[in-house]
Amino acid sequence: MSVKHGLLALLAEAPRHGYQLKTDFERRTGGSWALNIGQVYTTLQRLERDGLVELAGSNGDRHDYRITPAGRDQLSEWFVAPVVPEGPPRDELTIKVLLAVAASDVDVTEILQRQRTASVEQLQAYTRRKAQADPEKDLGFLLMLDALIFRTEAEIRWLDASEARIRDAAGKAAKTGGGQE
Amino acid sequence: MTPAVELEGTSRSFGQGHTAVVALHPTDLRVAAGEFLAVMGPSGSGKTTLLSLIGGLDKPSSGRVIVEGKDVGSLHPRDLAVLRRRTVGYVFQDLNLLPGLTARENVSLPLELDGRPARAARDAASAVLETLGLGTLGDRYPDDLSGGEQQRVAIARAMVGERAILLADEPTGALDSITGESVMRLLRRHCDDGGTVILVTHDAAHAAWADRVVFLRDGRVVDETQPARLGAA
Repeated sequence: MSVKHGLLALLAEAPRHGYQLKTDFERRTGGSWALNIGQVYTTLQRLERDGLVELAGSNGDRHDYRITPAGRDQLSEWFVAPVVPEGPPRDELTIKVLLAVAASDVDVTEILQRQRTASVEQLQAYTRRKAQADPEKDLGFLLMLDALIFRTEAEIRWLDASEARIRDAAGKAAKTGGGQE
Repeated sequence: MTPAVELEGTSRSFGQGHTAVVALHPTDLRVAAGEFLAVMGPSGSGKTTLLSLIGGLDKPSSGRVIVEGKDVGSLHPRDLAVLRRRTVGYVFQDLNLLPGLTARENVSLPLELDGRPARAARDAASAVLETLGLGTLGDRYPDDLSGGEQQRVAIARAMVGERAILLADEPTGALDSITGESVMRLLRRHCDDGGTVILVTHDAAHAAWADRVVFLRDGRVVDETQPARLGAA
């Protein structure tokens, strides 16, 4: 996604100036996405050029922007469109394990366990922050932590499944007397 | 400080000779008082065996299990029963509450079985339910409670009588993740109040509530998380 939709969502609630957009955006996204103010202004200029926002008023250096009907249309299209990943992700862990399985002199189980320990430690760190959060005041922050937790959990489940599958394959290879080839 | 639980070369095998199956290879493990330890591993890795040995439900084939300074293996059966009743509480996946008793009566039952007067047992049960934020459930019967509420009442029953050590085996079973989280919060709180929890689970999200996670595979501890590294994450 782009910063564009984030700014449109905020302006759909009420007119805001650049600095307000920056701080509100960061708060809404649970502190997971820091914006620099220059990025906010360039995005606002582009949105204004495309007729999606317009100037609502100025007070000295402070310019308040508001969303236009065309901006509202674009925002609701974005909200209802499901997010579909583009192509299979090339993430380093997956590739590392695939290469390790193919290499004959690498202990894959050891690699999986090291990663599992590191991922569980990461999960512990997230869980600690969750335990300290206030469910009423920090809803956005909690939702973001949940997203990080579920993703890390998925990674660990994948490690567990990989280990079981590799063992299974090794067991079958041993029974039939065949190797990996 | 005396650890709450200590394993010294503890092993457990079943059968003998060629057909012997080793469920747990000789293992050393120390769990400090006030620590929340999670044990993770796939099915058959020895997790439940480890918990049964610590709880005195099973005896090691070699080595020692020391709970609150007492060698469980050398305890007289009567003293072992006292340790199990007063020091150690259990929470299992299918720890069924008795359907004919209210939540409060279920929680007070272990104390009554231990010989406490009914009134004192009931007061202690009310107090622990109140502490866990379950005060309003006391008069309800298990059939009227949701799965999550039942499991939290089961935790109250495991804690009643100020038992310091809680042993939990997959306590969140089939609960959804938010309800499971409320169960983990109770276990976490028991440790924050100075108690000790040993949780066995295959679920990383639950293990992550612990201070330390040890990983078992084929009856051996193969790794553990380092609490000191958490600050950096």
